[in-house]
Amino acid sequence: MGMYAQIGQMTRKLHDTLRELGYDKSLERVADAIPDAKDRLGYIATLTANAAERVLNATDIAKPIQDDLQARADQLNQRWELLYANKLSTEEFKTLAQDTRAYLALVPKQTDATSNQLLEIVMAQDFQDLTGQVIKKVMEMVKTLESELLTVLIEYLPAERKLELNTELLNGPVVNPDGRTDVVTNQQQVDDLLDSLGF
Amino acid sequence: MADKNLRFLVVDDFSTMRRIVRNLLKELGFTNVDEAEDGQVALHKLKTQHFDFIVSDWNMPNMTGIELLRAVRADAQLKHLPFLMITAEAKRENIIEAATAGASGYIVKPFTAATLEEKMNKIFQNLNK
Repeated sequence: MGMYAQIGQMTRKLHDTLRELGYDKSLERVADAIPDAKDRLGYIATLTANAAERVLNATDIAKPIQDDLQARADQLNQRWELLYANKLSTEEFKTLAQDTRAYLALVPKQTDATSNQLLEIVMAQDFQDLTGQVIKKVMEMVKTLESELLTVLIEYLPAERKLELNTELLNGPVVNPDGRTDVVTNQQQVDDLLDSLGF
Repeated sequence: MADKNLRFLVVDDFSTMRRIVRNLLKELGFTNVDEAEDGQVALHKLKTQHFDFIVSDWNMPNMTGIELLRAVRADAQLKHLPFLMITAEAKRENIIEAATAGASGYIVKPFTAATLEEKMNKIFQNLNK
């Protein structure tokens, strides 16, 4: 018998057995829940991306305003230093006084603009509440899926099932480092590891 | 201190991360920065334009950061380029793999501006040796 035919027969047999035991319903629930989870995760990805974008836009706007305030203050300060060193003429002093007055009038406008951007950054964090709720829902769903699938798996897996070690190098962020010795949890550990190997 | 006109290539598949790294580099005084969204695009840019420094993510579609690193180190024109890996990959195996392949530095995400500055300074120091 060809390998494909054999796999086909096994699938058929598994399918029939699952139905007899009533597991087809739990598998159906699993299959139904997955698109829902995908949608929810997609929603989280969109919300967090938008928030990051909003914050970066706000800092892009606020940074030049701050830089400008600082540059003007530095410049005025240098001129005041000259005045106190008796290096300014009366005319120059008058101009300096006018410029300083203009600067003082400008500052509140600029700080207002920066404040607006700070508020924008605060408001951009509103995703946390929304994604938090959705993540909670997904976690509940995963928990249900896990127990339903486990019931089926335990029924069908050979007793001496070997735990395969994950040796892949593309794992993404470590979500839960508790009890793991194969991962680092901060930059210091990266540096120590590289040092210990002479890099 | 390093030449502020150094040309950087920031490689990451997430535009927000590219923007963050670009902003951090700007804070450090480096404004000559170009971006690539994966290793393939990066390698093409590296072969057709002049760059002085590569900052790359690991996990990217089409061509990963480690594949880019190997391609860079295998290219006579590019192999001298400093290559800083900034990645969420935190397995010891990953770090060793990157170091063996010739990475100039390895930063795990999430990271701070201070860490980036420290690693870059270390790389510049080694270049001047």
